[in-house]
Amino acid sequence: MKILKTISSMSLYSKSEKKNISKCKHVRNRLYSVLEKHLSPDASWMQKHIAGCPRCQKRFNAVNKVNLALSCMKSQPHSLDLLKHANIQTIGVLKHSLREAPKAQKLRKILPEPKLFERMAKYFQPSANLAVCILVLVLMKMSVFSSMSKAQTQGQKAMKQYYTARVGEDIAEDIFPSDIA
Amino acid sequence: MLGKAISYETIWDFAGSESIAKDQRWILSAMQKSGQELVNMLWRILGNEQDVCDAYQDTFLQLAHYEGGKKPEHVKAYIFRTANNVAITILRRKIAERKRISESVNLRTEANSPVNEIDLKYLQQNLRDCIARLPEHLRDVITLRDLAELSYVQISRILGISTGTARVYRCKAIQLLAVWMAKEEE
Repeated sequence: MKILKTISSMSLYSKSEKKNISKCKHVRNRLYSVLEKHLSPDASWMQKHIAGCPRCQKRFNAVNKVNLALSCMKSQPHSLDLLKHANIQTIGVLKHSLREAPKAQKLRKILPEPKLFERMAKYFQPSANLAVCILVLVLMKMSVFSSMSKAQTQGQKAMKQYYTARVGEDIAEDIFPSDIA
Repeated sequence: MLGKAISYETIWDFAGSESIAKDQRWILSAMQKSGQELVNMLWRILGNEQDVCDAYQDTFLQLAHYEGGKKPEHVKAYIFRTANNVAITILRRKIAERKRISESVNLRTEANSPVNEIDLKYLQQNLRDCIARLPEHLRDVITLRDLAELSYVQISRILGISTGTARVYRCKAIQLLAVWMAKEEE
């Protein structure tokens, strides 16, 4: 018995092996997604073949029909209170103490809740709008500053040219050094 | 003396059933947790609200009577597998009924008619018939993956298989369904 306990308490793998196994798991999961991308019907090599092979076209159509039927089944909505009705019917045949439990009362009135993604979807539009507004403001600010500095340098150039013509190049160079202009 | 003993026995029985019922509150928790997913799956398999309610009721009754009221080790797995089986039984019964009626009335739907080609209801009905014919291991994967929209990880836990096996089973199921559906149309 003691031996069994010690064996069960011993780890089967060392630390490095465990790390390697977790890496394997990660690679395996990634491998499926890569394969799905490469072997999906949208892959160009597959599209090219299907376009020229009548047998594959037939198979492809049949699989597409199954997928279409599956998505039809998924998209068909049921009435909003189906869950409520199903709960009422089921709770009605359970034991008395279960029927009277406060949770049962709650279940009798339950309505389907949207998934987290669906709940977040309503916040997506306003937050996207806000992000776009911020981006526009940042771009505007950047363009305003760059055009201001451009106007300043062009103004200084014009002034330098004016002074060069009137008082000479040396004095103009003293007033407006060339590294600024 | 005997009367007293009997009354004590009934009190004991009552107390016992009460304690079981108290312990069985996990059924309500399971209903709350998995009810929505289960109803969605049943609706997609059966396509009829009354049938969904019946299958749902059957599932939880079976759960309540599992080994004399014990809690299964994996409640979600038990619920989904039971619901799947109950739904397929109902579906098969309906298919048989439909066949019997169509034979007695001598009404035969023409699969090749152009109306059926675009009739999505016909397509769904055809798919349901084919799903009911699938071997159990393939059918479980296709219903859990495509109709209950569970991940492969969840499916592997429910069915006690690896995720890779679940993927292979789904692929095989789709191939079989495609062949059968194409045959029905010919």
